[in-house]
Amino acid sequence: MCLGIPGKVIEIHDEGGLPMGVVDFGGVRRSVCLAYVSHEVGLGDYVIVHVGFAISKVDEIEAQRTFEVLREMSKHDELDWMAELGGMPSSVPTTAAAGDSAS
Amino acid sequence: MKYLTEYRDASIALPLIERIRKTATRPWTLMEVCGGQTHTIVRQGLDELLDGAVEMIHGPGCPVCVTPLEQIDKALQLAARPGVIFTSFGDMLRVPGSDCDLQQVRARGGQVRIVYSPLDALALAQRNPESEVVFFAVGFETTAPANAMAVWRARELGVTNFSVLVSHVTVPPAIRAIMQSPGNRVQGFLAAGHVCAVMGWSEYEPLAEQYKIPIVVTGFEPLDILEGILMAVQQLEDGRNEVENQYVRSVRREGTPPARARIEDVFELADRKWRGIGEIPMSGLRLREEFAAFDAERKFGLGGITVNEPAECRAGDVLTGRLKPPLCAAFGTRCTPEHPLGALMVSSEGACAAYYHIAKHRGAAPAGVMA
Repeated sequence: MCLGIPGKVIEIHDEGGLPMGVVDFGGVRRSVCLAYVSHEVGLGDYVIVHVGFAISKVDEIEAQRTFEVLREMSKHDELDWMAELGGMPSSVPTTAAAGDSAS
Repeated sequence: MKYLTEYRDASIALPLIERIRKTATRPWTLMEVCGGQTHTIVRQGLDELLDGAVEMIHGPGCPVCVTPLEQIDKALQLAARPGVIFTSFGDMLRVPGSDCDLQQVRARGGQVRIVYSPLDALALAQRNPESEVVFFAVGFETTAPANAMAVWRARELGVTNFSVLVSHVTVPPAIRAIMQSPGNRVQGFLAAGHVCAVMGWSEYEPLAEQYKIPIVVTGFEPLDILEGILMAVQQLEDGRNEVENQYVRSVRREGTPPARARIEDVFELADRKWRGIGEIPMSGLRLREEFAAFDAERKFGLGGITVNEPAECRAGDVLTGRLKPPLCAAFGTRCTPEHPLGALMVSSEGACAAYYHIAKHRGAAPAGVMA
């Protein structure tokens, strides 16, 4: 039930003193309360939405970085396997644990 | 969708699984706290892919599953009351109470409405001043800011026909209860990403220290979960017991301070019963005294209801990792999603329902279904 969906803030307005907005979830748009993130979120930012409330801002740089770390890690492992199978020697460092870059 | 589908890439997941296998020099036992993570793990078969290296025990982080029977019975009583519009998130409607569920109360004429947000319930109260609108405020810390805001706004706007039936629980006391339970096998935790998006992770540091366990704040997509598992396994192999954050894109150390502040404004810590587990001291939230007018239990005099759980349901053993759902004697026979003995078979995030559906999906009938 703690399902939180990332979406893009495409409208910000005030409803009787409550910061509200419209968030786009890949084409589906919903009214969302922005009260908890209004100090750090602007149009075009991504937020995690849970039961109609934005509960945190998605950090785009960190999102990209986590993904790159994971992708690099998978490439390295493939090269390792090739080396193990008697192909080309592994020439890339293999000790970069996921946590090093992501934490 | 951005920040969702890229974390489901199988070409990255499989090497990650291989890396976990290579890192683990012995089998380790981890618990994912959150039901959303359980759903992903079982649905994607991550538990089977890691078999022999990492055993995942499915924790109690499903609010639908741990809401105690007596709170369900109170909800049923309120929903059946003339003049009351009872509002709830949809997944609470089929949770069995002592003798029926909210869906059945609705079929008998009770006014039960599903809402997406607690603010929708408040708006319903404003549109129906002649009725009493009650919202079933269940959930973990993820949901608490939304429910707190609905109560806060009701007071601000002077809405007097709105109240909440509170059944809020919090994660850290549950981790403590699991670590202290006899026969505990859990050696590390994946903490729930969205709980920590609100609360941050400072309250997990004393737990990691006291019980010498790694705790990794983890997201919900398959790659998030695999990376979280890898980080926990790496810590166990290194003999470390730290709180680390895998879900960096959404979780900061301090969480979301305005959301924490609003929870503090409206709620205070209280003892809470957990379905299948029993009472855990200071493991939940209740409304502060100044919001007593919005407390449905007080407004409708429900305080005296206490109920015991059915003896045959072994949810407590499942929630604490002592029993895998398919090994329960009632699984798939006397307990199915259509006729659940307990809440773990109701919610798609409940461990029993997750196993049941996946067994059907893979073509193997759950034990007893064909009998």
